[in-house]
Amino acid sequence: MATTVPVVEEAEDYSFLPIIHDVIKCMDKDSPDVHQELNKLKTKIQEAREQISGMPGIDMSPALQENKLQTLREQVQTKNQLLQKYKSLCMFDIPKPS
Amino acid sequence: MAAAEKSTKEKLLSTLDDIEVLSRELIEMLALSRSQKLPQSGEDTQILELLVQRDKEFQELMQTAMEQGRVHQEMQTLEKEVEKRDSDIQQLQKQLKEAEHILATAVYQAKEKLKSIEKARKGSISSEEIIKYAHRISASNAVCAPLNWVPGDPRRPYPTDLEMRSGMLGNISNMSTNGVNGHLPGDALAAGRLPDVLTPQYPWQSTDVSMGILPPHHGNDFGLEPPGHNKENEDDVEAMSTDSSSSSSDSD
Repeated sequence: MATTVPVVEEAEDYSFLPIIHDVIKCMDKDSPDVHQELNKLKTKIQEAREQISGMPGIDMSPALQENKLQTLREQVQTKNQLLQKYKSLCMFDIPKPS
Repeated sequence: MAAAEKSTKEKLLSTLDDIEVLSRELIEMLALSRSQKLPQSGEDTQILELLVQRDKEFQELMQTAMEQGRVHQEMQTLEKEVEKRDSDIQQLQKQLKEAEHILATAVYQAKEKLKSIEKARKGSISSEEIIKYAHRISASNAVCAPLNWVPGDPRRPYPTDLEMRSGMLGNISNMSTNGVNGHLPGDALAAGRLPDVLTPQYPWQSTDVSMGILPPHHGNDFGLEPPGHNKENEDDVEAMSTDSSSSSSDSD
């Protein structure tokens, strides 16, 4: 018997429930499209895996990334201050050898 | 100590694997129960609930991953800025190093110059005295022949043999035997009591000194007094000098 699958309304494309629901619906109807739907599910899972592998910046946890971001911001600020300090010192005009 | 937190990528892949396994199990269970016409146990409900939960987690993780992607872009921008600042600082450091080198060289050279100035100041000699000595040296015609000197002139810029013999050194043996008050000739000279006959005569000086090359009032400023002018000895010298064995190249 067909089991009632709770319909999950998701705006993003990352949900697999609609496809699983389609597969179960086809199984209930004994439709020949079952295999097609199953292939779609497999393909979507594979595509998700490839997308995850290619996504930048997810090699660390969000907390660690935030720390690194903070460190970088501080570095930029410190170096800007250092440069400003050096530039405010008296500059030497180095004569070019003629 | 807490274990290192898993990265978002690891969590996403793990959740995706769970979804794959759970969906496969669910589909297999449903297919099996349909084919065997068996009543469904509560297991498929549990699997379904787990599947829904995993799917929700997966979506949340994907949202986090998208946000991390945006942060990663900002971090890349900041890293480029840090690199630029680093190269600016290195450039500035190079320039400062060059300036330091130039300044160090200049300071060293200035110090050396100051040392030379101080050294020259300590050993300074009055120009007047140098000029007097120059006059004295040139007045003896030791550096240049007199203007009226011709080949055959007996005058020489050095004492000749006979003149040496007639001088104090030449008569030193006579003086030691005679013994002026029992003292050595050197004492007599030092005491200023050398007899006139023993005073060395330098004929080539006699005429030039009298021409007034030396300023008259400076003529006696030096320790060495010019020998007394004795015109009588000139003829003797003239006769004697021709027989001298001087090696002067002027005597042709």
